[in-house]
Amino acid sequence: MDTLKVRDAKDVEEVVRAAIANEQPLEIIGHGSKRSIGHAMATNAVLDVSALNAVTSYEPNELIVTLQAGAPLADVLSLIDAKNQQFAFEPMNTAPLLGAPALGTIGGMIAAGLAGPRRIRAGGARDHLLGAHAVSGFGDSFKTGGKVVKNVTGYDLCKLLAGSWGTLSVMTEVTLKVMPKPEAERTLLLHGLDDATANKAMTAALGSPFDVSGAAHLPKSAFRTRTDGLGDIAGQGEALTMLRLEGIAASAAHRAGSLRELLAPFGTATLVEDVASAAAWATVRDVLPFAASGALGAWPVWRIVCPPASGAALGTQLARETGGEVIYDWGGGLIWAALPPNGDAHASAVRERANATGGHATLIRAAEDVRRGVDVFHPQAPGVAALSERVRASFDPKIILNRGRLTRGAAA
Amino acid sequence: MAIMMPASDQAVLARRAEIVAALRAIVPGEGVIDSASEMRVYESDGLTAYRQPPMVVVLPDTTEQVSLVLKYCAGQGIKVVPRGSGTSLSGGALPLEDGVLLGLGKFKRIREIDFDNRVVVTEPGVTNLAISQAVAHAGFYYAPDPSSQIACSIGGNVAENSGGVHCLKYGMTTNNVLGCEIVLMSGEILRIGGKGCENSGYDLMGVITGSEGLLGVITEITVRILQKPETARALMVGFAEVEAAGECVARIIGAGIIPGGMEMMDKPAIHAAEAFVHAGYPLDVEALLIIELDGPKIEVDELITRVETIANACGSTTCQISTSEAERNLFWAGRKAAFPAVGRISPDYLCMDGTIPRGALPKALARIRELSEKYQLGCANVFHAGDGNLHPLILYDANKEGEIERAEAFGADILRACVEFGGVLTGEHGVGIEKRDLMPEMFTEIDLNQQQRLKCAFDAQGLLNPGKVFPTLHRCAELGRMHVHAGKLAFPDIPRF
Repeated sequence: MDTLKVRDAKDVEEVVRAAIANEQPLEIIGHGSKRSIGHAMATNAVLDVSALNAVTSYEPNELIVTLQAGAPLADVLSLIDAKNQQFAFEPMNTAPLLGAPALGTIGGMIAAGLAGPRRIRAGGARDHLLGAHAVSGFGDSFKTGGKVVKNVTGYDLCKLLAGSWGTLSVMTEVTLKVMPKPEAERTLLLHGLDDATANKAMTAALGSPFDVSGAAHLPKSAFRTRTDGLGDIAGQGEALTMLRLEGIAASAAHRAGSLRELLAPFGTATLVEDVASAAAWATVRDVLPFAASGALGAWPVWRIVCPPASGAALGTQLARETGGEVIYDWGGGLIWAALPPNGDAHASAVRERANATGGHATLIRAAEDVRRGVDVFHPQAPGVAALSERVRASFDPKIILNRGRLTRGAAA
Repeated sequence: MAIMMPASDQAVLARRAEIVAALRAIVPGEGVIDSASEMRVYESDGLTAYRQPPMVVVLPDTTEQVSLVLKYCAGQGIKVVPRGSGTSLSGGALPLEDGVLLGLGKFKRIREIDFDNRVVVTEPGVTNLAISQAVAHAGFYYAPDPSSQIACSIGGNVAENSGGVHCLKYGMTTNNVLGCEIVLMSGEILRIGGKGCENSGYDLMGVITGSEGLLGVITEITVRILQKPETARALMVGFAEVEAAGECVARIIGAGIIPGGMEMMDKPAIHAAEAFVHAGYPLDVEALLIIELDGPKIEVDELITRVETIANACGSTTCQISTSEAERNLFWAGRKAAFPAVGRISPDYLCMDGTIPRGALPKALARIRELSEKYQLGCANVFHAGDGNLHPLILYDANKEGEIERAEAFGADILRACVEFGGVLTGEHGVGIEKRDLMPEMFTEIDLNQQQRLKCAFDAQGLLNPGKVFPTLHRCAELGRMHVHAGKLAFPDIPRF
């Protein structure tokens, strides 16, 4: 299979145009770090954007950075960290979970749109993508959005590109919002709560005025895998409920005190600070209890999004029904479920439970033969699915880009 | 009218009586308005320079009625213009002579308040402020706060992706909406998203938000609500030069401080506001910043000190810090009344809405001064300084021959300058008809074609709110045509592996 390593947007246009003319679908990759997510594709050439890796401009005072889509995420994170800034949506590092070697590129980060714990407060990748240049399935470069944070000029196509898994267009350059890093972080830990009680504690915390920027729950069984990031915190091997407060030091400490009082009915909270707190949240963000190298590394992993207050009921039932393990983020609104391997990764149980709450589930990790028989992405209601298909066709009528990745059987 | 709207369909106009009767069969009683006098209130929105009575007004009160009206109109090839409270400043709800005006004013119910999931499910005709009021007893509020929040509807906010003073810290509408029920032009009813943080599949909610009523008619919305910050305090800082004020804004952001609001006014705006509300604004400064910090008291007190230090270092000539809610509200009173205040000193004004990179502020204001000279019209500037969103208010008198045209030309030049300085045509008011013909300043034909193809995915006949946003209308079949680029059948000569 040909791999075409494009050097600029013009190359991308030419490759896509040739692909259209030859009716030869393309797989779009950066570092390939998330290549195992989705269905096997019916592509017979690879468009590799990893050489489009320049930082176009970085203006810390404007809170924006403009990057080519192939820029390595690790380098960009170092660049903005040096100015004490960050992507507030806390992009997930999928490498440990998927057993992939690399952190990936900026383009991949946006196309997958996998936000971390701060999603509940700061939004997702879609909320931080301000503008993009991309090549559509018509083989034409277009731009959308701009380089300013406040902009309503024309349709917001950035929202569609974020989370499109490379199906609508090949992004070549993107402008992202960056935010100041908080000076301090404090995490309150409640110990030994069952899932339902933990969900109530997280709901109370997120409904408080203390500006909680992370709310996660790791049931006891989640510690089956050794998770270095948790250090001594996980020592007792009991369930942990984590609530994060960020900001200037005095404020974070003050709010931690107030929140501890509010949560007194749920037990006596202990506190971790700064580096230890950050390591604990990286463990949640990257779902390290289910890491590919750990005890559950061979288990399929689902990512379920639901109304936050429904999380514990959904997760508990699913774990009981399948013998699987779950961890909760987003105050219960995000459930990571590692389920014992079987032919369909327990898809019907997962989807039934998710649908009952109005949520949806994505099969993030599973062997290829399992993915062949299961919808990786949540099936949509017929009207929404039809509209989504028309939207896709408005960008890529010949289905040149990542053909078959989102829909089971579409590759045939 | 300087803006050309799509030609009226005479065949449709000739069938008006029949169309009115058909609509009455769907929406009974007073829900269909066809008398010229009663329709007058609908002939314009907040962009009052443009007026056009619609063919007929229909005010459904159920989703099913909305669906039937749209299905009927789609079947008959009749254009439809949706309208919320009619506060658009860009003409987004300007009727069409041969179009049905579909008002959502009867969708006034809040359907569900769900504190555990921190969401409100509401009908689109509920005002922005009413949502905050409905949850205030539990300490919650809905964050986006456009200045028209008393009157503007949440449906209109979604259509326009409205902002407000606090969006630097809390985001625009798009960052605070989770789901909706939408009726497509075909009459099909769809539910997008819900109470979860994210939707599945393509982010349709994201692209519907800010689509200016061109993609569908929203009949229900799920919004996020937040706990009110414990306290808020404001600084009012005067500068002898606009450049120093701009530098102060940059240094505050550079220091990692994101204020709840950071507003700037120039001298004409300060004078107009002070004469109107007597907020105690200094009259001898060239620029005034109002900077609000919100959060826990301990944090606000600390940040106030840091901001004061930065302001002093930037050469502020006056600096007052609010010590009470009354004083904080007084600081804001002038800013919040800036538009009516300008209305007192000038018979008419045009409110512009461009965004520029923060750093371009001094040169943007210098350009506006030059243009003010050139067009011989006054201009007062208020500015969401934190996010670079500029609101020049161009002063004119509609009764003087040629002044409105001059004012519009002045405004267009300001927006061109915004694009030239790396910004955009509109930060929060929308394109509508007002900036429609300026779209090519920012977008190429290819860019606009891609946007219009998206429109085709929602409304293939182009019947929903035509004439807004896009300067040129194309048929969907034409936009969808694939131009095969001849002679380039092989992959180009680039590195392979």
